[in-house]
Amino acid sequence: MTTENEVKTDVYSKTFLAGLWRENPVFRLLLGMCPTLAVTAAVKPALTMGLCVIFVLTCSNIVVSLMRNLLKPHLRILMFTLTIATFVTIADLFLKAYFPRMSEMLGPYVPLIIVNCIIICRAEACASKNPLVVSIIDAIGMGVGFTLTLCVLAVVRELLSTGKVFEQQIMPSAFVPWAAMSMPVGAFLTLGLLLGLVNTITKRTRN
Amino acid sequence: MRSLKYFIQQSWLLIVASFCFGLLIAVTNASLSPEIEQNKINKFNRLAGGLLPDANDFVPLDKQVEVQGIRGKTINITVYKAISETKECVGWSFTAAGSGFADKIELVIAVGKDFKKLAGFDCLASNETPGFGDQIKYSYYKDQFKGAPAGKLILIKAGDTEKIDSEIVAITGATVSSEAVVKIISHYITRIREQMLQEGLLTSDNGK
Repeated sequence: MTTENEVKTDVYSKTFLAGLWRENPVFRLLLGMCPTLAVTAAVKPALTMGLCVIFVLTCSNIVVSLMRNLLKPHLRILMFTLTIATFVTIADLFLKAYFPRMSEMLGPYVPLIIVNCIIICRAEACASKNPLVVSIIDAIGMGVGFTLTLCVLAVVRELLSTGKVFEQQIMPSAFVPWAAMSMPVGAFLTLGLLLGLVNTITKRTRN
Repeated sequence: MRSLKYFIQQSWLLIVASFCFGLLIAVTNASLSPEIEQNKINKFNRLAGGLLPDANDFVPLDKQVEVQGIRGKTINITVYKAISETKECVGWSFTAAGSGFADKIELVIAVGKDFKKLAGFDCLASNETPGFGDQIKYSYYKDQFKGAPAGKLILIKAGDTEKIDSEIVAITGATVSSEAVVKIISHYITRIREQMLQEGLLTSDNGK
């Protein structure tokens, strides 16, 4: 006989793991495409973007979950946007203060987290309907899933465009860098190929 | 009265949340703004120092220089005097901004001590298109300005990039960005020079 605690643990683990694979925001839900394509030319900016999204997603899910019973249906999107914009502004200021070079490198993509569909989607689909703990776990799962996806894309692109990963030389000196991989064409190609790979794996595991 | 009650019933959460979030942003901004300002100053010193290598320090003039901006609005610009180790003036530097292709371009511009020749420019902030407009940061484009006359510059589509004069060769595929830089420099450098001469901050012969 399963206890209440075991059921809860099962729900929490399923919620967390959903963001990593089954409902991965980029590969399965195709959300957050703008930063996915724009900041994955190198691993460092991709990781920074991912961490910013985790912070904003977790904070906005906490606030939305806490006020879910007070939300008026016709004002909820406005409240979500207000909440998300606040935490994005804080993340942006933090980067400008302590990581100015990274802030410059990411340019407008940090403020653009405000319109990132993943965050508003989780506020609407999860945080506004679930208690605090589930909302936090969902935010962390989705955020980690998004960050890992960005990093996978960035590793492929940085490796092929510079021969380096995390600015450390990986490829032999004879390797000729593919400059196109750091450009938008490289982003689309890598994303397309990885989406195809994920779809193939998903089909095979289902069968 | 009834409508006011209805309005408050509907929007009290939004009003309270706006106030709380506003307060949170204000507190964060107040605590981080000294660090952000310091980063800007450090970046300015780094870029201006690269343009005027003899400078040991950049001292802002006591009074800001009031000039007409590109869009006709009056702008106050802080001009920095570049001081060498021997406390001599080795040039001047200031920041100026204008519209680029994608966004605002903010430049650090440096001139010689007599305000007659450009020491060069560097980008303080720019979001120009990677691979095209962002080539304004590349040395082959920037080097055309080093030693060019500090006056009206002209953008040409083809020419010798190594020839130093008032003609600047545009970046292929990024004419708007190239033009924006030329326009910002030409516009501000002449006006700041005139204004500084008028206010006696600069003498026409030695720039002291």
